[in-house]
Amino acid sequence: MSGSSKVIENAICTFCGCVCDDIELTVDSGGKHITQAKNACVLGKSWFLEHKVEDFPVALIDGKEASLEEAVYAAAEVLANAKFPTIYGLSDTTCEAQKQAVAIADYLNGNIDTTTSVCHGPTGMAFQGVGESTASLGEIKNRADFVMYWGGNPAEAHPRHFERYAVNPKSPWMPNGKEDRTIAMVDIRPTQSSLIADIFLQIKPGSDFELLWAMRALVKGRALDRTVEERTGISLDRLEALVQQMKDCQFGVLFFGMGLTMTRGRHFNVGALLQLVTDLNDFTHFVSMPTRGHGNVTGADNVVAWQTGYNFGVNFNRGYPRFNPGEFTTADVLGRGEADALCVIASDPGSNFSAKAIEHIKLIPVITLDPKPTVTSQHAKVAFTTATYGINVPGTVYRMDNVPLSLRPAFDSPFPSDEVVLRAIKERICELRGITPNHKPAAA
Amino acid sequence: MKLLLHTLPSVPLETEVICPDKFIGNSLDAIGAMTVMHGNQACILTDFFTLTDDGLDTIKVEGDLSKVKLIGSEMTQGKIIINGSVGAHLGALMTGGEILVTGNAEDWVGREMSGGRIVIKGNAGHLVGSGVRGSDTGIQGGEIIIHGNAKNEVGNGMRRGLIVIGGNSGDFTGVNMKAGTIMVLGQLGQRPGASMVRGTIFSTQAAQLLPTFTYNTTYKPTFLKRYLIYLKKLGFTIDDAYLNGKYQSWSGDSLEMNKGEILLFSE
Repeated sequence: MSGSSKVIENAICTFCGCVCDDIELTVDSGGKHITQAKNACVLGKSWFLEHKVEDFPVALIDGKEASLEEAVYAAAEVLANAKFPTIYGLSDTTCEAQKQAVAIADYLNGNIDTTTSVCHGPTGMAFQGVGESTASLGEIKNRADFVMYWGGNPAEAHPRHFERYAVNPKSPWMPNGKEDRTIAMVDIRPTQSSLIADIFLQIKPGSDFELLWAMRALVKGRALDRTVEERTGISLDRLEALVQQMKDCQFGVLFFGMGLTMTRGRHFNVGALLQLVTDLNDFTHFVSMPTRGHGNVTGADNVVAWQTGYNFGVNFNRGYPRFNPGEFTTADVLGRGEADALCVIASDPGSNFSAKAIEHIKLIPVITLDPKPTVTSQHAKVAFTTATYGINVPGTVYRMDNVPLSLRPAFDSPFPSDEVVLRAIKERICELRGITPNHKPAAA
Repeated sequence: MKLLLHTLPSVPLETEVICPDKFIGNSLDAIGAMTVMHGNQACILTDFFTLTDDGLDTIKVEGDLSKVKLIGSEMTQGKIIINGSVGAHLGALMTGGEILVTGNAEDWVGREMSGGRIVIKGNAGHLVGSGVRGSDTGIQGGEIIIHGNAKNEVGNGMRRGLIVIGGNSGDFTGVNMKAGTIMVLGQLGQRPGASMVRGTIFSTQAAQLLPTFTYNTTYKPTFLKRYLIYLKKLGFTIDDAYLNGKYQSWSGDSLEMNKGEILLFSE
């Protein structure tokens, strides 16, 4: 190792919702490149080692290079003049930046939504309708003796989830690690994750709700039609044995992924799972947790919730927050051609929304904030290049269990952070609208 | 009173002022000056509509109203006729009166209504007669008559009243239903009656029910014939086989009180 290279201990990886906080980064002597990312998984290594500061302009207006100030003015003008400005993204940036974005939506009487609406939005709806029995990953690591994953593939999507939190760790209560735990997986096909499972239920596609409903009936001792076998692909005998095992454990946890939230039934699927966990608490201690994807999508939920009362799909048109997934979620707002301006922070709806929504994106002024050019930024009226959170930018992120962590960046970036750009846009919007920041006038 | 849309809203237009209760006792000028929300902009009704006083109490609205929301909100009396299609939240929280739509309606028709009648000649979106997200109570009275199809979650949390779907309904019809009647003359979507406590869901077609529903019997429900005759009077085509036929009776949801009833045409 070179004498002038720098080591950052306990750095935080923001690639996925695990937000591992034990990474040891080595930065080269030039201070612009990470050469080692000890403890990181394959995804984390790629995140850190392939990061480089590229020679992009700080901002583009209509595809032409512009100064930061010019771009801030142009962006603020677009948003301030819009009747239905929509702010979207936010799951790959810091809580500090997310807070500025919510303030902008509030000052604009606009619409704000996060990528939660296209991943675990149904989970947020189910939390509201059913509630959640949960725990920290630390508690799960120490105590859980029955671990079930439903509709997810952590071995490939959250590679250190097993190692750090739920399967392998040893603790005073789980001295033998995996040997002390029962690992169950539910999915529609075998995956890398199912290879380590003690119990694997390969269910028929689209039968999650029926299976969860059947398990609830077994837990509660209610009438159950035997057709459940034919419809889910799981025999009743096997299901009864599984449910008994769940009731008999000391501390159970049910993790669930987008295989549950984004299949037919969506929020009802998640609601059924959360109700199952509630039912199991009549017999033992059982908790649930969504395995969240993006590095700070949990932070986005938290910030939007503590500022508006709702965690995604929030509309301020009337001067106060209203929540209605389907009505105020960005994919729907764009798909129906309702938004007349769009500000995208750290996301790329232009590459993954419906064709109708993408067509509408091309028709309205778009502002993007992203470290790299994206499909969406190609259509942008104003495109900012921003520094990467976690690698260049400090701040707060939330792990998937709602535990906040402070980032330890590796080196500086020549680009401003999302927070700096959003704060400047917010202040300019206030100037344009004659608002003193933090003193919003009453709604019209 | 006639309202003709002269300017297409570029973003959603929220017009809860289009309601007999708001118009009664007001001059044409006063009605025209009523506030509507065009996205985040407060505008007045005449920015979008031409108003004509035809001396009748009925409010007639014409034009492409697909982005116009909340018509007839909190309505207690009178009648609204919409010639064409209409946006979301039609007749939200209404307690009386009647709304007739000749075209289609978007989501949330009759959200949390407790009286009156809404008739949609075309199709309806999701959540007909449902509660808002976070609420466990949907329609508490009145009638919602959809001549075409409806999407998911018809009558979510329904507590009282009648919902009729002339065509097919989407998934989770009657989910969380507490009481009331949902009649689907076409095909039920997946998982009807999930978590239903009481109430009746009827369909003329076979349906796959959740494993927490149990078959009771096949019989001729006396009350059903009267309902079907009523629907015939409302303009639905009801085959004699349905009037005189037998129906499978299923009970559920066993995860709740198991006192809900699903009736499926048998023969």
